[in-house]
Amino acid sequence: MSNAIVHIEHLNSWYGKGKERKQVLRDVSVELAPGEVLGIVGESGSGKTTLAKCVLGMVTDITGELAVNSQRPQMVFQDPYGSLNPAKTVGWILEEPLRAAGVKDREERRRRVAELLPLVGLEEEHLARKPAQLSGGQRQRVAIAAALIQGSKLIVLDEPVSALDVTLQAQILRLLAELKERLGLSYLFISHDLAVVYQLCDRVAVMTGGEIVEAGDVDEIYDHPKHPYTKKLLDASLALD
Amino acid sequence: MKNGKQKNWYLTIGIILTACMLIFIAVGFFWTPYVPSAMSSGDRNGRPSLRHLFGCDSFGRDIFSRTLEGAGSTLTIALAVLAVGAVCGLIIGALCGYYGGAADALIMRLCDAIAAFPSVLLAMVVLAVTGPGKYNVIGALGVLFIPSFARLVRGEFLKYRDRDFVQSARLTGVSDLRVIFVHILPNTWPVLLSGLTIGFNNAVLAEASMSYLGIGVSAQEPSLGYMLKDAQGYFFTLPWCTAFPAAVVILLILGVGLLGEGIRERMGVAS
Repeated sequence: MSNAIVHIEHLNSWYGKGKERKQVLRDVSVELAPGEVLGIVGESGSGKTTLAKCVLGMVTDITGELAVNSQRPQMVFQDPYGSLNPAKTVGWILEEPLRAAGVKDREERRRRVAELLPLVGLEEEHLARKPAQLSGGQRQRVAIAAALIQGSKLIVLDEPVSALDVTLQAQILRLLAELKERLGLSYLFISHDLAVVYQLCDRVAVMTGGEIVEAGDVDEIYDHPKHPYTKKLLDASLALD
Repeated sequence: MKNGKQKNWYLTIGIILTACMLIFIAVGFFWTPYVPSAMSSGDRNGRPSLRHLFGCDSFGRDIFSRTLEGAGSTLTIALAVLAVGAVCGLIIGALCGYYGGAADALIMRLCDAIAAFPSVLLAMVVLAVTGPGKYNVIGALGVLFIPSFARLVRGEFLKYRDRDFVQSARLTGVSDLRVIFVHILPNTWPVLLSGLTIGFNNAVLAEASMSYLGIGVSAQEPSLGYMLKDAQGYFFTLPWCTAFPAAVVILLILGVGLLGEGIRERMGVAS
């Protein structure tokens, strides 16, 4: 463990209270090294989003060991139409995390936003626009920029490209890979799409029913899946291709 | 709207009508052709003429001047009621909608209880205790207007509180109050604005009905409702005493109502 950016051991998590209390994560152990991209794959209801929320500190009903060695990990949401405040301009949205972090000087905030813009492929002219005036791809770039602006090194990506069409998917994935190298980021990449996971991730953990049934290097999992559920997932995605 | 494909007539007419009424009322604050309470024996029961545009009542008081003053009084009370109701309702609704929980359930049941009675009836009860007068009317009606705003705002906050942009604001460490009033509130403006126009109309009507029933403002500052009450005995002999104040109430409500409808239509198209 030692230098892992996320270290999770025997993590259990529940939601609901009293009789309604249901276990969503069962004995999950996983580790994310700095600079690494860990894919969490599974169908909806498998607990992958809950795992991400645990890492972000949004779930409190947990037992087990959970250590996150990063300041304010951020999240990029699936739907770029819902993750940006529709009443605000892009400039405001990008400055707000800095305001929250206590950067009082307006010029300083503007300067840091301006520095980040070219990295995510946005222009100065986008700053004055509202999210509704941007395309889906541009919105997701804004969402990525907003997640990065506080300088977080750990980013949780919750299906960040599944709401986009295929060409845009490739662009955003390339952008994410570039940003990772340039800024030294670590990603927790949640997806149900194995093809996307294959492109970006170093390691994969396959989840079903709140458990991790198989974990390992991407190539190994893809070439020699051991667990029947992994095989089923792979078959399903190959059948689509 | 932006492409000009379809003209928003509600909004256009609403703005024009509301503006005209506001100008009419604003004039009354600074100038009336006669002193509204001055009686003149020669002009008793005078028909509308060039000297007295809206005619005179049985005391020879100029209806035009009285309508100007009365409309100002009605507008002031309506706006004050709206301010009390909307500000309190906004804060209560925002906090209830955002935090939810037991306090929310309790406060909402209380609001339901208040809203179950017609507001004029409840205000009558309050005024029976406190006595009539401008400020008592404002206080009583204002409090009774809180539930409808609280419920409206709460509904909007319920809609937004679990949206991704709110979650991501929390993740970056934005405080709850800032999330409520800076992140979520601006998104509720369209609904709030049309709610305000409806509330304004209800306030005008409530004030007029209460003055008509004789439990509203005092005779020193007559409102439009008070004038209608005064004139009802002469409905057939001096119809202008009723017609002009009533027309001002109707036009004001119509204008603001159309404005609200226009806002709703416009926002609906835009989002």
